[in-house]
Amino acid sequence: MTSEAYPGPARPGVTTGGVMIMAISCLSTLLLIAAFAYAAGVGQRHTAALAAADCEPNLSPSGQQCTTQPMMAAEYLALLAPASQQLTTDAAAYAANEGDHLAVAEAALTAEVAADRALGRSLAAFPFPAGIAPIAKGLIQANLARAALTAEQARASSLSRMQSFDRRVELADAAVQTEMTLVRTAVDAPLPGA
Amino acid sequence: MPRNTVGAQPDQSWAQDYYQPASPAGTWPAPPRAAKPTAKTAADHQPQRRTAKSRVDEWMDVDFKFGGSRIKRKAIALVLLGLPAPVPLFFMLPALLTLNSNTFAVSVDDTLGTGAEVCLFLCLLVTPMVTLTGQHWFVPLRRWYGIMMAATSIGDAVAASITDTFAGGVFGRVAGHVFELMGFFMVMLVIPIVCTSNPWAQRKLGKYWKRFQRLTYVIWGLLACHLMLLEGFGFESGNNGSGFAGDGDAIFHQRFYQYSACSLFLLTLRLPPIKRWIADRQKEGRMWLVWVTVAPIFALFLLGFVFILNEQIFKGIDSFTNNPSNE
Repeated sequence: MTSEAYPGPARPGVTTGGVMIMAISCLSTLLLIAAFAYAAGVGQRHTAALAAADCEPNLSPSGQQCTTQPMMAAEYLALLAPASQQLTTDAAAYAANEGDHLAVAEAALTAEVAADRALGRSLAAFPFPAGIAPIAKGLIQANLARAALTAEQARASSLSRMQSFDRRVELADAAVQTEMTLVRTAVDAPLPGA
Repeated sequence: MPRNTVGAQPDQSWAQDYYQPASPAGTWPAPPRAAKPTAKTAADHQPQRRTAKSRVDEWMDVDFKFGGSRIKRKAIALVLLGLPAPVPLFFMLPALLTLNSNTFAVSVDDTLGTGAEVCLFLCLLVTPMVTLTGQHWFVPLRRWYGIMMAATSIGDAVAASITDTFAGGVFGRVAGHVFELMGFFMVMLVIPIVCTSNPWAQRKLGKYWKRFQRLTYVIWGLLACHLMLLEGFGFESGNNGSGFAGDGDAIFHQRFYQYSACSLFLLTLRLPPIKRWIADRQKEGRMWLVWVTVAPIFALFLLGFVFILNEQIFKGIDSFTNNPSNE
């Protein structure tokens, strides 16, 4: 029935549609080949682009296009500043109450432990470059040690027992400060190879 | 070999290209010109196509017992395939719940704009897939993706009108630049289209309904203008231009290139001569030739689409965590 309505060649040869789809198919094939050739150089271009923008490739996965030295230093300070402020506040609250209010002093120490642990988690997640990572690891460990000691202090059953931890906590705090200075110096210094 | 006329009528070829109701094809009103007497025989017309169900369609129509009720297989498949459509809106939910204006100002355009583009392409993908596979069970997805495209793009426009930093008040924020004006026109067009994508409007509009729904193609064209004006034809060189060069594949991130790669496939399989050619090969039983020919065009579509999805996922996750990326 349809052959009567549309008497065509027994086997259609070249049709407009055939020519069009073949041409588009060939164009697509060429574009795909070009895309694969382009994709082959992605790694080199990535490194070159980051270098041109004064970036360190291993600092890029933080969700930014590129992390430069000053950007990383700023990010590190942004991480550290609120934590330091919180720790200072908690330490002051403990100092004000360690002589006469056990419950308040305990609460201040508990808050200090929480702030310490949060800082430790943030430091662990921070994308330190390979050259700084070992130093940062030292800071994280010192921070954890201080948090553990403060937690033990917070569990003390009397004010005198609580105060007996003060000297050890001060030493742990000094260790953290030393590690912090090392990291800060490393972060502020030019990156290796830059 | 008799010439196959299934795809030979431009009128009917295009008739598939807009939203259709989720109900089976039987409830679909006949195309306006189908009733007119023509030189073609009755066998040429759409009913022949509709009655010929593929084996996959038949398999999808089989129902099975699920929790005390019977559900068709295709219902499950459609739900699963339709699930990704609201994801762009979901990405913006935390920012909405916390009223985080920074996330909206920085990344709502990327998250919802790209989401609307994805939904538009998926909506437009249905017709080519019907042409290629001869299956119809997934046709309801066209309507779903169309509605979600509308929801996403309207959400984008509303958020931009409130949180964008362009001067000129609300109108300046949604239409203050030419590329924004294109987006504004798209949203203005999508509203009546989505309002009439239901059986009631279809009955009321009669033969004009299909023509009206073809405005979707205008949106498709306006999207090209929107992206051209947004990013131009070039790509990033160093730190200048469009498409982020940091990962070394700036060309793949160029939005207009992505659009073009996807649109080539979507447009090609809508061209009446090509649909006729495919129908002829189907009739001859030489579908392998169709697959071989279409494969590079489809691969190019996938390449473009993967990078659009990449953009959607990464920008979306950044928005979801209220850590918006302004790349």
